[in-house]
Amino acid sequence: MMDHVRVTRKVRDTPTVFSLYFNWNRDVEPGQFVMVWVPGHSEVPMSLSQTGKEKCLTIKMYGDTTKAMDALEPGDFIYIRGPYGKPFSRVKGKTLLIGGGSGMASLRPMINEDSTGILAARGKEELLFENEFHDGKAICVTEDGSRGIKGIITAGIDSVDLSGFSMIYVCGPERMLYAVYKNIQGKTENVEFSLERSMKCGIGLCDSCSVDGFEICRDGPTFNMKQVSEMEEFGRTRLDRSGKRIYF
Amino acid sequence: MSGISVKAGGISLETPGILASGILDENGYTMKRILQEGAGGAVTKSIGMEERPGYVPPVVFEAHGGIINAMGLPNPGIDNFGDEISKAKESSKPVIGSIFASTPEQFMKLAERMVDYGVSAIELNLSCPHVRGFGAEVGSDPVLVKEIVKNLKGSISIPIWSKLSPNVTDILSIASAASDSDAIVLINTVRAMAIDIYARMPVLTNTYGGLSGRAVKPIGLRLVYEVKKELGLEIIGVGGISTWVDAMEYVMAGASAFQVGTALWNHGRSVFNEINEGLASFMNEHNIKSLAELRGVAIR
Repeated sequence: MMDHVRVTRKVRDTPTVFSLYFNWNRDVEPGQFVMVWVPGHSEVPMSLSQTGKEKCLTIKMYGDTTKAMDALEPGDFIYIRGPYGKPFSRVKGKTLLIGGGSGMASLRPMINEDSTGILAARGKEELLFENEFHDGKAICVTEDGSRGIKGIITAGIDSVDLSGFSMIYVCGPERMLYAVYKNIQGKTENVEFSLERSMKCGIGLCDSCSVDGFEICRDGPTFNMKQVSEMEEFGRTRLDRSGKRIYF
Repeated sequence: MSGISVKAGGISLETPGILASGILDENGYTMKRILQEGAGGAVTKSIGMEERPGYVPPVVFEAHGGIINAMGLPNPGIDNFGDEISKAKESSKPVIGSIFASTPEQFMKLAERMVDYGVSAIELNLSCPHVRGFGAEVGSDPVLVKEIVKNLKGSISIPIWSKLSPNVTDILSIASAASDSDAIVLINTVRAMAIDIYARMPVLTNTYGGLSGRAVKPIGLRLVYEVKKELGLEIIGVGGISTWVDAMEYVMAGASAFQVGTALWNHGRSVFNEINEGLASFMNEHNIKSLAELRGVAIR
């Protein structure tokens, strides 16, 4: 069912990322996603970067649909359906949030006094929500070395003791997820990944986003360490928009 | 559940529910999982000569009692689909290759490749309601349908199924034209659309789509019944089946087996086993040894 909500405020987070805030009368758990339609352009899956009464979409501009969303101002309508998918499981104790690029957007609702973040991006201007972590518990990793550790996301993981965390949540492009998975494998089982693939219907019918027979939109997008370790396709192969198999 | 095994459309099915074309059947891993979780067979996404990305989303709309979709026949092209069939066949259950084309010659080429890939039967998509030049535009022409089916039956060794559209004035003339097929598959989706009043425009990028799900069951049931009653052809029923009662209604209307698609949306993959168990239990209660005993019993 399509809902129509008005933008209440708009914030520019980085030169290429902005957030649209709105009130939406549906319960959403962190890790779930929505489908957002921009009439005349396309419909895209997005996770919410805020899940209380006031909700938020944090959007990275990468194509005509997301650029069209950047034209939205307070008072304009957002066309939205959902929420869909399985949320992250919630635990007591310390958590580690690992987000690559705009992947930190879907982890943002879980930032609290018990969480530590590992934020990775190409450069410091693309780091998202560093200042929302408490007491400076955000480890930044940049490929160009402009902030924090110079390198890729696994360099950030190597800098922390994973045994102190009740759960580790990971979100980002699949190649990054796979690198994180390989790095963490054997160290702890308490890990959940949010997977992202080309998605069309969002409701478990079209098979575009599937991985090993699981629909990311319905069975996921969150999967635990054991589940991804049993997947043959994860990090290796997927289907493109036509259904053609491609390899990472 | 030996009692619910059937022979339908020239193949044997351990369980009578088949995954319908277009739903969760693009990736071989998905078909394999659904087959392992209770489907008796799986029909692939419709495959054509060339790779097609399909339409830009929105491609689905959640309507009352069903889904309206216009995927736009996305497919990797026949040359790129062999690996998916191989993966699905690891389930050791029948995989039926769905194909779409504009001409008898193209249908022949696609069917030959599907045979090479090892499918158990071929389903001709003569009914997709939302792509110009294919599907229902081919399937509403009895002369063309007859030529396509006759051509294939003359040289393809595996069973040929013809999936027909409900969006025709006279189903009997089309079904007669396809009567050389090993089975008639009824029905494809019902042509439909949705409008968003805030955007003041159609929701689906393609404007027109096809309605599937519970809302279309009475339509599918009528077409199966009518074709069985008037022509006596072998029929595989599809359209709005989400419970074992729905499936049993189709069987009593004359279907030898049935397909399930949209129900995967609100029931998940477990829908096949739920239907299987319900059918077996009903048959046990009524001392029915084989589902075939009930085929067409409602026809008056």
